[in-house]
Amino acid sequence: MTTETYSSNAVERSRLNNRLRAMVTQENLITLVVALIVAGAVIVPLVVLFVSSFKVLDPAGWDTTWGFGNYVTMFTDRIIPKAFVNTLIISSGSTILATFLGVSLAWINARTNCPGRSYLEPYNLIPFFLSPFVGAIAWHNLGEPQTGLLNNLAREVFGIEGAIINVDNIWGVIWVTGIFFAPLVYLFVVGSLRRMDPSLEDSARTTGAGLFRTTMTVTLPLVMPGILSGAIIVFVTSAGEFGVPFKLSAPYGWETLTTQIFSKAVGDDANHHMGAAMSMALGIITVFLIWVQQRYIAPRSFTTVTGKGFRPNVLDLGPWRWVAFGYNIFFIMVAVVLPIVCLIIVSLHPVWTGKIVLADITTINYVKTLMWWHPEAISAATNGIGNSLILAFGGASISMVLALVISYMIHRTKGFGVRMLDFLSMVPIGFPGIVLAMGVLVTYIQTPIYATLWILMLAYITRFFPYGQRNISSIMLAISEELDQSSRMAGASWFTTLRRITIPLLKPGLFAGWILLFIIFLRELSISIILFTTGTETLSVGVYYLTNFENEPLTSALSMAQTVMLLIAIYAFRRLAGREALTA
Amino acid sequence: MSTNNNVMVSIDHLYKSYGPEMAVKDFNIEIEQGEFVTLLGPSGCGKTTTLRCVAGLERPEAGEIRIGETTVVAPEKEIFLYPEHRNIGMVFQSYAVWPHMTVFDNVAYGLRVRRASSNEIKTKTMQTLELVGLDHLADRFATKLSGGQRQRVALARAICYQPEVILFDEPLSNLDAKLREQMRDEIVRLQKEVGITSIFVTHDQSEALVMSDRVVVMDKAVIQQVGDPQEIYANPANSFVANFIGVTSLLEGKLDGRDGDICSVDVSMGQGAEPLRLRAIGAEGATPGDTVNVSLRPEDVTLHLERPQGTDHGNLIEGNVIDTIYLGSFLEGRVRVGPHEIGIQIDHFENLVRDQTVYLSFQPEHSLCLAN
Repeated sequence: MTTETYSSNAVERSRLNNRLRAMVTQENLITLVVALIVAGAVIVPLVVLFVSSFKVLDPAGWDTTWGFGNYVTMFTDRIIPKAFVNTLIISSGSTILATFLGVSLAWINARTNCPGRSYLEPYNLIPFFLSPFVGAIAWHNLGEPQTGLLNNLAREVFGIEGAIINVDNIWGVIWVTGIFFAPLVYLFVVGSLRRMDPSLEDSARTTGAGLFRTTMTVTLPLVMPGILSGAIIVFVTSAGEFGVPFKLSAPYGWETLTTQIFSKAVGDDANHHMGAAMSMALGIITVFLIWVQQRYIAPRSFTTVTGKGFRPNVLDLGPWRWVAFGYNIFFIMVAVVLPIVCLIIVSLHPVWTGKIVLADITTINYVKTLMWWHPEAISAATNGIGNSLILAFGGASISMVLALVISYMIHRTKGFGVRMLDFLSMVPIGFPGIVLAMGVLVTYIQTPIYATLWILMLAYITRFFPYGQRNISSIMLAISEELDQSSRMAGASWFTTLRRITIPLLKPGLFAGWILLFIIFLRELSISIILFTTGTETLSVGVYYLTNFENEPLTSALSMAQTVMLLIAIYAFRRLAGREALTA
Repeated sequence: MSTNNNVMVSIDHLYKSYGPEMAVKDFNIEIEQGEFVTLLGPSGCGKTTTLRCVAGLERPEAGEIRIGETTVVAPEKEIFLYPEHRNIGMVFQSYAVWPHMTVFDNVAYGLRVRRASSNEIKTKTMQTLELVGLDHLADRFATKLSGGQRQRVALARAICYQPEVILFDEPLSNLDAKLREQMRDEIVRLQKEVGITSIFVTHDQSEALVMSDRVVVMDKAVIQQVGDPQEIYANPANSFVANFIGVTSLLEGKLDGRDGDICSVDVSMGQGAEPLRLRAIGAEGATPGDTVNVSLRPEDVTLHLERPQGTDHGNLIEGNVIDTIYLGSFLEGRVRVGPHEIGIQIDHFENLVRDQTVYLSFQPEHSLCLAN
């Protein structure tokens, strides 16, 4: 008996040993280390932000005490409650506008015989890549009551008194945000519209439902999860948008949460703890909405694709197709063509008074903003291009390597911390850039990396690596694991397999993800505006500086330079990624 | 044109093309009330296009289709009824069961669109669900169903509001073999029970033969033959039909002469010293010297290991075994005869070896001579 007990104990012990030893594998160790690094980058700033929001600065601005004072101030302050309401109005309004534009354009391009729809589609998507801040600057120059180009044209050509439009208010913010985020909704909807099994609608028709009824009871409900997802993303992105309200509404009395956070982060009455509290408030709203979208709406998406290569039902609009065409062109005009044309015109004038004066045309604004060697160059502007290119190249490259490692771990290994990694690469999506930047600011302000490009790089990567990670993950899910395994069967090592099979298969996705991040970093504003200092200005910060301290022509010139760089990147993106790379 | 009052669907001179490619060419048929007609052919033959023209999902260029008393499409008269005005039901290959609705809502859709009273909707929908054996799943969402169950929902949805015609577009081809047979029998049972006129599109000849009252064989946009299953199988109109329906060996040869119904064909194709003559029926209209095909079903060929005695074997030819395939209940073999391969069925388990000399016999009335 005793020997038996002893031996069964020994067996148990050795089993336990084996299990322990089995857990300490290279795979597990590496996964754990990466998970911890990512956790450090993502979680620490948010925790410090949370803690910091409970420190109340005394009126003299020297000492802090613990308490809920900052949260109380948010309700008692003269401006913040209004800013809160304004944020909700702007987000709701631009969500409605963007959803309407995005769904209708997607439907026109995917399901009707609107002329030239396949040529128009790329132009419908351009605003997605451009900077909404620059869009706001352009629309300010188009729709300002006195100096707006459209208002002046209306006065001169049609002899109208006063102004036909005024975008310097909350409605202007909704207008610009709405048209610039419409492509987001478009991308969420167009795939399921285009690939929907046509017999789903055909069977409604043969069962006796007319076109309208079929659309209302079958088509729309089937794409509804996509519409809702797109709408939530637009709401969250608008709530975190800084540039548009900063340019169009804040100077005229309509503050938002983001412009308020900004004023607490920098400037004379800076109060980081108050900024942290407001960031928490904004972050809680956005995280909650993203959680709802990920948890309840995304999984509801209906599988409407049957894999049979059917072309979707295309609706013959008859003469109405020209209305659809005109509508599509109208969108491209207001979202792409007019803003760019306006920037060019304004940037060629020494001062902008609202009128085109051919005699005054000059390139001095481009000289001052781009030619850093020139004596008249404005360093805040000229620093931007170099800094932004470093950040975009470096940030996109590091992010994609990180994204590759994380995706590989999530989808190809079963190491420790895989679930944590999966969760961690979701978290940053829930927080607007300005909130995360506030967290990074309060965390690193007393370390050496503050006031260097590194802090910007760190914040960029932390906030945006999930985009690259999702890009790679979607492809990795589509590539059968058997392709990897076959290589191992054929005698290749793990590393050779990675180098010869996995990475080559992922290459298109890696490039597409890289360029997408490059574009995002090149126009990034809401993180940079919190974390920049003299010398580390980025392109968008340069634009901010010019619009705040210089004049509109100089602002337009740098905006134009940024837009041209973005357009080149967009062209490269389309060449590499193909037309539906974004829908994944 | 017949004036039969029982005609439920008539298609006259239907033409449809996609760009320069002709999809359906001069399609004519009259389908009687309660009849089950199958359109059979390889993919791309125009069978689905024809069906979609009947449904109103495609617009033909010319011709006329009538359902009951109503002309539903006639391009020359500028008549085109939308699918929802044709009072038809349709079952699709991909089931097309709406994933955002319950089984009940899917099936009740047609009645709701027709503004039936809520009482009627409830009773009729439940009756139909009972008919297909899904009444216990009425509240379930369509995404939680198996393939077979989804197809039953699609079927129930198409018959619930008692349309005049039901159209099937390869409804069984997404199901696995066992389930396919089961659903096939169920569709036939239901069709007879409800007595609804049906047009069924398939590329599976065994489905067509088992289910239909009449089969329409199509190839390259044109009807090749219309007839009941026996007729199609026993009396194919041309080599395409013979080859497509069942397993057939086609032996190309030259018509030698004719003696009453029986004609004599030389299938040696110029190989060998002397002509290899077979006697077969058919080949009406062909004259001696024409190239013809002799069509031979494996089950009509008798295998002999030794040269048989007597003369009542009809055609008797010598050949060499190429190979045999074991198929469970019988063997399938191929025998080389001159320039041809002949497929045979062997139900007794002979031990055949490659190149072994064997003898094949078959009656002239079982071998059909088809003009090209």
